Amino acid sequence: MPEQPQQQAPQQQMSEEQVKVLQEKLKNMSPEELKEFQKKQCIFCQIIAGKVQSKKVYDDEEVIAILDVNPANPGHLLIMPKEHYSIMPQIPEDEVGHIFMVAKALSNVSLRALEVQGSNIIVANGVAAGQRAQHFMVHLIPRKDNDNINFQIPQKNIPEQELKKIRDLLSKNLGTKAKEQGMPPVPVIPTGKRVVEAEFKEKKPGKKREVEKETKNKETKKEVKKSSESGINLDDIAKVLGAR
Amino acid sequence: MADKTRESCLICQIVANKVPSHKVYEDDLTLAVLDVNGANPGHCFVIPKNHYPIIEQVPDQELANLFGVANKISSSIFENLKAQGTNIFVANGIPAGQTVAHFVINVIPRKENDGINLQWKPKQLTQEEMSTVELKLKEQIENIGVGKIEPIEGSKTLSGPVQAGTQPISEDDEDEDYISRQMNRIP
Repeated sequence: MPEQPQQQAPQQQMSEEQVKVLQEKLKNMSPEELKEFQKKQCIFCQIIAGKVQSKKVYDDEEVIAILDVNPANPGHLLIMPKEHYSIMPQIPEDEVGHIFMVAKALSNVSLRALEVQGSNIIVANGVAAGQRAQHFMVHLIPRKDNDNINFQIPQKNIPEQELKKIRDLLSKNLGTKAKEQGMPPVPVIPTGKRVVEAEFKEKKPGKKREVEKETKNKETKKEVKKSSESGINLDDIAKVLGAR
Repeated sequence: MADKTRESCLICQIVANKVPSHKVYEDDLTLAVLDVNGANPGHCFVIPKNHYPIIEQVPDQELANLFGVANKISSSIFENLKAQGTNIFVANGIPAGQTVAHFVINVIPRKENDGINLQWKPKQLTQEEMSTVELKLKEQIENIGVGKIEPIEGSKTLSGPVQAGTQPISEDDEDEDYISRQMNRIP
């Protein structure tokens, strides 16, 4: 367990004196003032407001997606709520859902558009987790074989006793129904569209509005065909995985 | 065929209670278990009960539920494990490091110098390369209609400052405060 947090941040550029003054100022601000202050300080809020230029590829009422100017790979996208949040636990649940629905759709887009074979979705909450911007964002990184990205997620041996302790701690206020073993198997919700292929054929036109269905359908088909010709096919990706 | 998939999929076996696990959360669509070989103690897998190999196959509602649960667990990690940070990590496809053919969200508690590295070295792209990528993505978005994503039911348009009361952790937000404070200090 980490001890009380130390008074230091690795990215610190201000003098200790300045930090103290700023902290004092922040402490005395009302939540509204703080929000305004954060917005003014936040480069991503400036981008969202259109005051700073960016390569925007997606935009809706709640969410914006721009190309990262320092990408891990070409097509690296930053998906952000337009509202200023520092970390994910501050975001209302429905907005979280929407952000990741956009991430999914854009992952689908990049698989098809950039001839990549995978994607990583990464969120860092807190400096210790590698967060560098003060605006919450989801990184969507298109991946290819041998693209020189090496994430390290070591495996540790966690003793059974500790696992039990942690499980009890974590599930404390999750409103969990989970118990130790012995629960009857939960019935899997039938969706009717479980076959992978059917899922995809249904889905793309399904996103259109009825009126546009006819015309767009043709385009979609053409696009899917093009994708499979270049070997980029979601079903393939899924199948390769299944074979493992 | 679906049954066969489930028999050969370790995650489906966990969902069906045929393989023991440490469950942290469970609802109709989603299960969260501890990774017994976690990167840090408290490393959780958030998984859909239905079998989907990759994220593109997960229906929107299920996906929203999954990430909602991941977020709750992330909050719980801050609050109950006193972590200094959390990562949400998804590997989609083998080049991305996916090893199990069942969609999984990793929620990983973090502290300084814990041996986990999710950083990357930025690649230098010319303005022209950036513009090409931008164009390709935009074309594809038009073709498959990402712009038509409808906000989920009950979702509201947010404007104005967020009220303090809307933050999920309100009882004991000491640690969240710590994170927020740190965020505020990043120049």
